[in-house]
Amino acid sequence: MVRGFVPVVVLAAACVSPLGGAQSGSPPAPTPAFSDAELRRILAHGPWPPAPVRDPSNRVSGAVAAIALGRALFHDPRLSRTGTIACSTCHQSARGLADGLPRGHGLALSDRNTPGLANVGGQRWFGWDGANDNLWAQSLRPLLDPGEMGTDFGRIAATVREDAALRRQFRTAFGTEVPTDDEAAAVDIAKALAAWQETQVSPRTAFDDFRDALARGDTTAAARYPAAARRGLAIFVGAGNCGMCHGGPRFSNGEFHDVGVPFFAAPGRVDPGRYDGIRKLKASRYNLLGPFNDDATRSTAIGTRHVALEHRNYGEFKVPSLRNLTRTAPYMHNGSMQTLRDVVRHYSQLNEDRLHADGERILKPLGLDKYDVDSLVAFLETLSQPAPPPVPGR
Amino acid sequence: MNAVRGAFGAMAWCAAGACAAQACGEGLPGAIHALESSRYAIAFVTLPDPVPVGRHFVVDFAVCPRGDAKPPQSVRVDASMPAHRHGMNYRPSVTSPRPGAYRGEGLLFHMPGRWDLTFDLVSAGATERLTGTLHIQ
Repeated sequence: MVRGFVPVVVLAAACVSPLGGAQSGSPPAPTPAFSDAELRRILAHGPWPPAPVRDPSNRVSGAVAAIALGRALFHDPRLSRTGTIACSTCHQSARGLADGLPRGHGLALSDRNTPGLANVGGQRWFGWDGANDNLWAQSLRPLLDPGEMGTDFGRIAATVREDAALRRQFRTAFGTEVPTDDEAAAVDIAKALAAWQETQVSPRTAFDDFRDALARGDTTAAARYPAAARRGLAIFVGAGNCGMCHGGPRFSNGEFHDVGVPFFAAPGRVDPGRYDGIRKLKASRYNLLGPFNDDATRSTAIGTRHVALEHRNYGEFKVPSLRNLTRTAPYMHNGSMQTLRDVVRHYSQLNEDRLHADGERILKPLGLDKYDVDSLVAFLETLSQPAPPPVPGR
Repeated sequence: MNAVRGAFGAMAWCAAGACAAQACGEGLPGAIHALESSRYAIAFVTLPDPVPVGRHFVVDFAVCPRGDAKPPQSVRVDASMPAHRHGMNYRPSVTSPRPGAYRGEGLLFHMPGRWDLTFDLVSAGATERLTGTLHIQ
């Protein structure tokens, strides 16, 4: 992951870091300045929040009435087969719309960590394997998955048809009665769920204040950013090259990589990750090339048309956003890392033997010392607002 | 496959109007990139320009046979990131709205850095590859 060039300002950090080949255990370097190239990379992580963008594949995206309906449905356990599990059971607002568990647990234990839903709108691929190319199809998936909510089109449709208040909300949102066809009704309900999720945007953070201060040349405001976070940021955009994958305002390129996390879901059972995701996507009736896309021009389907299935996709998982990170522990696709420190240490001590032999050559062990690890963690923590007090009973 | 790359001098990677590919691609909008081999000239533009990281983009290009070379029977576009030993996660499609003019769609650079953009020109069973380099920020 560490490339040939080492910007001048990172040398300050590298002086105390095995990144630059120096000894470990030294005290942290003085607060680094940033080179022009690093400044460009930092500025590319904003501004935040992004302007809302309507999803053309969803005719109720951005519509106030659909957002209200979606919110109600998101918290409604009647949508599940047992009537006991709502979307919000696993996507809890107090936990960054995740569940705080290593692996999700709906009607059964999942192989994967429940991703937080903040900033889920406007993405290209959804889920750890990107098996869906739109948020309404991704919203339908857990409803139908036997291990999550385990329901069916008939139950989804009936939940709204048989409740006068929901029925009225549906009519206001869509301008029609609930379709008589159960599948069409369920897809519309998923579109309302998507409309609400699109409004879930993580708040501005200390990093955003720092980034904007740099953008306007306000050194006084920039100086308020903690020194440790600044050192971590210098590693992130410098020799650590973390922004190669964690780029842009979301701190994710929205694509898929093998980062050396084992993909055995259980002894003898493998999670194929992106490889299976692409196969499911192509076979899905609910993808953007299918009949339920409300955009006749298929203007957002370019990725679905052109995505390539390669052997190397096996064991690749989506690059998660780093925003709201302190709310969504544990980490990685299988929830195998409890803390941000564990994640940083993973990249520091990366076992290259676990990477695909025929895969890309981006990742190298960063060889961070204690101060580098502390600094990177301090930086990552500034991508979230400080967490509220824990919710009792969970 | 006969491959020519800018680095070896068999192909020129030159600014618009500054090389023999000047006339090739006339009418393409924006800043034209030009590639040459002994048999072909290619002029291309990207939409948008510059290419952003993580967003699909289009390559509009013209292929102009030189000397007694015949127009290619088929054309492919692809890209790779040599330093990281990976290509794109997408397989671009190429359409030809009129003879000699092409549009490549479905390209996406998911990382910043150096990308090699390749044009494979297939003619009489032989493939000639022209490669240009884009530095993406």
